[in-house]
Amino acid sequence: MGLIARTLERADIATVSVSLARDLTEAVGAPRAVFVKWPLGHPLGEPHAPLQQRTVIFRALSLLVTASQPGVIEDLGLRWRREVYTEPDWSKLEGIKP
Amino acid sequence: MESGILVKLRNEAILSFMGEPKTWLERILNRVYAIPSVAQLWASRAARRSAALVAGDSLIPFTRLDKPLSAARGVLITTGGVHLKTQPPFDMENRDGDASYREIPDNVALDEITITHKYYDHRDADADLNVIFPLAHFHELVRRGVVGSLASRHFGFMGHIEGEQLATLMQRSAPEVAAKLRAEGVDFAFLTPA
Repeated sequence: MGLIARTLERADIATVSVSLARDLTEAVGAPRAVFVKWPLGHPLGEPHAPLQQRTVIFRALSLLVTASQPGVIEDLGLRWRREVYTEPDWSKLEGIKP
Repeated sequence: MESGILVKLRNEAILSFMGEPKTWLERILNRVYAIPSVAQLWASRAARRSAALVAGDSLIPFTRLDKPLSAARGVLITTGGVHLKTQPPFDMENRDGDASYREIPDNVALDEITITHKYYDHRDADADLNVIFPLAHFHELVRRGVVGSLASRHFGFMGHIEGEQLATLMQRSAPEVAAKLRAEGVDFAFLTPA
């Protein structure tokens, strides 16, 4: 996945990856990634848990717009099945203003 | 002899349940690798193999998103074996994996999508595709104006690609997808693994 991301970045497409395997993501040099130490097959979390899933998307998109250097892997620090999630404040997603 | 028949019966039951041929061993390994710390151990070992792939290319490519997210066009890419039921499934027989990809229309009905990937337990993703391919969430983000728009099609790959298939991925599949995305004016990609 990191290798695909690298190819896209070379083609001027910004990428953010969700990583379930930190060492692997680091080794292939993914341009931007958020890491969750969760079971394989669950990059966005549990089924039918929209707040959890949207939290991961929010954090990933936040990294997409704020990362200032390549190769950053942000550990989201979210524990498997031991967190309480709320709706992210999407208005706080920064980026280049129009 | 009797236990052999039992195993066969059980395997057939699993086969019909999972919709793809998985041996008992593969099922057990799926369970083991579903334990986060075991997955991290696997990642460390895989990392040592993969580091060689990018050796000599230590500069990580980096493109900034040069417009607000609310004006940007996004695409979803997953290596979780996601594809349409009408498309050929990924090749599970080749030990090097399958470096081909499947295009998933943005306006697809979710019940037209399936997953072929025997190297992880995707029962949760089968129950709720958002676990691995959050198309419904991104449609909602576009509706809310958080994200500008989405590409007309998204892309499904299969992970666990090695050897010859890895060369195919790097030399053909990934550059092909990049060219298609550029032609469609895609600004950013959101990638999810298996």
